Amino acid sequence: MLRADRLGRARAMHAVFALLLVVVAVASLGVGATGLGLGDMLRPIAGGAPLSDIERVVLFDIRLPRLLTGIIVGAALAASGAVLQGLFRNPLADPGIIGVSAGAGLGAIVVIVLGGTVAFVPAGPFAVPMAAFLGAWGTTFGLYRVATRGVRTSVATMLLAGIAVAALVGAISGLLIFVANDQQLRDLTFWGLGSLAGASWIKLGATVPVILAATTLACTLGRALNALALGEATAAHVGFAVERVKTLAILSVALGTGAAVAISGGIGFVGIVVPHLLRLATGPDHRALILNSALCGAALLVAADVVARVIVAPTELPIGIVTAVIGAPVFLWILLRQHRWVEG
Amino acid sequence: MSLEARDIHVWLGSREVLHGVDLSAAAGTLTCIVGPNGSGKTTLLRAVTGDVGYSGSVTLNGSDTRRLRPWQLAAIRAVLPQAATLAFPFTVAEVVRIGLQAGQEGDHAEIVGAALGRVGLAGYAARAFHELSGGEQQRVQLARVLAQVWEPVAEGAPRWLFLDEPVSSLDVGHQIEVLQLARDFADAGGGVVAVMHDLNLSAMFCDRMTCLAKGAIVATGTPAEVMSDTTLSRAYGCTVRVNRTPGNGVPFMLPQAIGG
Amino acid sequence: MSKQWFLGNLPFSLSRAGSRSALGISTLSTVMMSGLGAAFAWTILSESEAFASAEPRVLSLGGAVTEIVYALDEEDRLVARDTTSSWPPEATELPDVGYLRALSPEGVLSVGPDLILAEEGAGPPEVVDILRAADVAFVSVPDGYTPESVIAKIELVGAALGVEAKSEALAAETRAALADATAQALAHDGQAKRVLFVMSAQGGRIMAAGSGTAAEGIITLAGGENALSGFEGYKPVSDEAIAAAAPDVVLMMDRGGDHSVTDAALFASPALRTTPAARQGRVLRMDGLKLLGFGPRTAEAVTELSAALYGN
Repeated sequence: MLRADRLGRARAMHAVFALLLVVVAVASLGVGATGLGLGDMLRPIAGGAPLSDIERVVLFDIRLPRLLTGIIVGAALAASGAVLQGLFRNPLADPGIIGVSAGAGLGAIVVIVLGGTVAFVPAGPFAVPMAAFLGAWGTTFGLYRVATRGVRTSVATMLLAGIAVAALVGAISGLLIFVANDQQLRDLTFWGLGSLAGASWIKLGATVPVILAATTLACTLGRALNALALGEATAAHVGFAVERVKTLAILSVALGTGAAVAISGGIGFVGIVVPHLLRLATGPDHRALILNSALCGAALLVAADVVARVIVAPTELPIGIVTAVIGAPVFLWILLRQHRWVEG
Repeated sequence: MSLEARDIHVWLGSREVLHGVDLSAAAGTLTCIVGPNGSGKTTLLRAVTGDVGYSGSVTLNGSDTRRLRPWQLAAIRAVLPQAATLAFPFTVAEVVRIGLQAGQEGDHAEIVGAALGRVGLAGYAARAFHELSGGEQQRVQLARVLAQVWEPVAEGAPRWLFLDEPVSSLDVGHQIEVLQLARDFADAGGGVVAVMHDLNLSAMFCDRMTCLAKGAIVATGTPAEVMSDTTLSRAYGCTVRVNRTPGNGVPFMLPQAIGG
Repeated sequence: MSKQWFLGNLPFSLSRAGSRSALGISTLSTVMMSGLGAAFAWTILSESEAFASAEPRVLSLGGAVTEIVYALDEEDRLVARDTTSSWPPEATELPDVGYLRALSPEGVLSVGPDLILAEEGAGPPEVVDILRAADVAFVSVPDGYTPESVIAKIELVGAALGVEAKSEALAAETRAALADATAQALAHDGQAKRVLFVMSAQGGRIMAAGSGTAAEGIITLAGGENALSGFEGYKPVSDEAIAAAAPDVVLMMDRGGDHSVTDAALFASPALRTTPAARQGRVLRMDGLKLLGFGPRTAEAVTELSAALYGN
């Protein structure tokens, strides 16, 4: 009866993954290009000399906001991935499917290219994340409206419309890229690769409540998503208001991923790889899977950020490169190994 | 306490597939919906369970089903779809538990094993659903449905099973086993409505039979009343000869008896 | 699925990432300029040695800015540079903090700078804010494609380093050299040559310079005329527009290695086949940073380019 009680074991893993996250987080605080270590940070507590100005900036303005950004972005991407895969009943679904990434990209491109030069398009450091967030939302809810007839939302229509919208948004982005100048092009390139380097307390303040709300909402959808695995009709027959579940799931994903992409640019694969590996390890029950995904996604992104910061110091790799280098091979392996139940 | 569906019309696109069908089923009985391919029998069940849009009215135990919330309906009826898919690698026990927790006996974990035992899958709890054969998967789904309405009567009201071709991919032994299970549920006071392909099996187990053809009712009544040469010939569009078993006179027909 | 909006191969290294070839004349002139600066700054130098510990540690971001620091003979203060600072060759031995528009805050702090001299557009802005919070002085050096902007860069860098005397000397010398070079360049015979600057010709798609570019700036200074007009920046240009522009000369960056397109391949393209440049086989390749950097070597670049254009 081992496998029959997978839920209990998966829930027990919450504590393990939380501990993992704490370990990775502490390690992340203690590693960086300046060589400031954990010992130095604890020095004032141990009665030693207080931190120097530089040390304080490194700790409180660079590493700490960056660590927290890594945690919320990783948690949001992985939890959103788990929710979307449950909603679309497909282990390979990713937020790109519902237009989040395309919309966020369009928002960012509009501001990077047109910011400050065209009426009503703002410029400045917060304009890009704001525009990315609004773009993600606008696209997702546009798609949702297209896919909703009366009270029913067709997940298949949403998927197809998502492909069309991604193509349209891609074309508009291409047009803007055409009119962009040399510097804007490079900004776009780096935005697309994703980075936590822009982490700041102000951005965190704007993002944390959104992502907390989205992830909490995601965690309440576990039972309904389990039922959805049996199909929409059956989910309704076992007592779930399916249309409301779909709306809440899409809301949660648009909020979480929109905010994550806005603060960090495009970071791929976390949303697919983390839930998938967890499903293999602890079973597909969404009641445990979503929270486990959030914890592991956070740990993975923080770890990837450490690699991105340290491996080529004093420069740093865009974190999207690190997650893709880890994620792409795992993704291929999943495809090869699991294709037998992908078609469901 | 009964199921009453009145004047059900269903449109799929611009085509009307049900033309004002009535269906009644009393608690304590097993009602079979039969008819040729494309007659609208599955559509009728899907309309009654709210899976497709319809005009007309459906009441269950006296309540308009459109006014009940999904969880209120789930507490009094369970629905077995014709084809069931499963998107993720759940185990058999996890699938059955989804049904159990939708009903009123959610705290009784032992029902999972009991329901699996009823469908002949005792000991399958820890198996992966995807690794089972089609017939075994169908019986797991039936166990899930049974677990949802484990007690045929709860709080003085009957509970309902709606089964869409529950024996379609089963061997004859399991067909009998599953229909006996439905029979027992009805005998214990619950209501069962099943869409059936096999007329002979239906006649063996059901109390009431409704025969559809081309989206309209051809006949309703006991199996003996419905399964007449003229009714079936009309419904299936070919000459059919019905026989009776010697002892209790259950109607049956053999394909060999079909002729022109 | 997730990033369809993002077009893959954007031109990563556009103007500032020149190659390390084309030593020769440019080294000579740098040495001369530094020497001149050194003569003026003898006293300052000896003074600064006495207060060596008070000297700010400088991080230089941007090829032209780094060149100016070297031309001012202040390279001893440099602790690091960015990826685009590839001249003089010694500069490449400094630690590299990455691309100047995608800086890592802790990476920058790890080289311990007190002063950052940055070409316009260094960032991202959040990183600059953090650096300022860490009490690192940050001086942004405006860009521009005229002789005046070169002088302004020199003066600003000199002021930031506190070596106004040296920078005034360098500015005067550069101003004179630029005036000389441009005057000579404009004294050519006949009509101005029409020059097509090709940023890249990957896969036969030509990306060329329009108006408001460093390429147009240097072509104009060298007495030529940008063959293309009517658009800003570096853009993919249709084959027909290039044929219609009828350039006399094609100008490219000397990238070396496999990136360079052979002349034969270039002139075989339908866009260029019919042009005067193709008939005469005129393609010029110059060091990207020297050609487009608008720094101390610009006068030299003007002379070199106009000599190549007009053969004098």
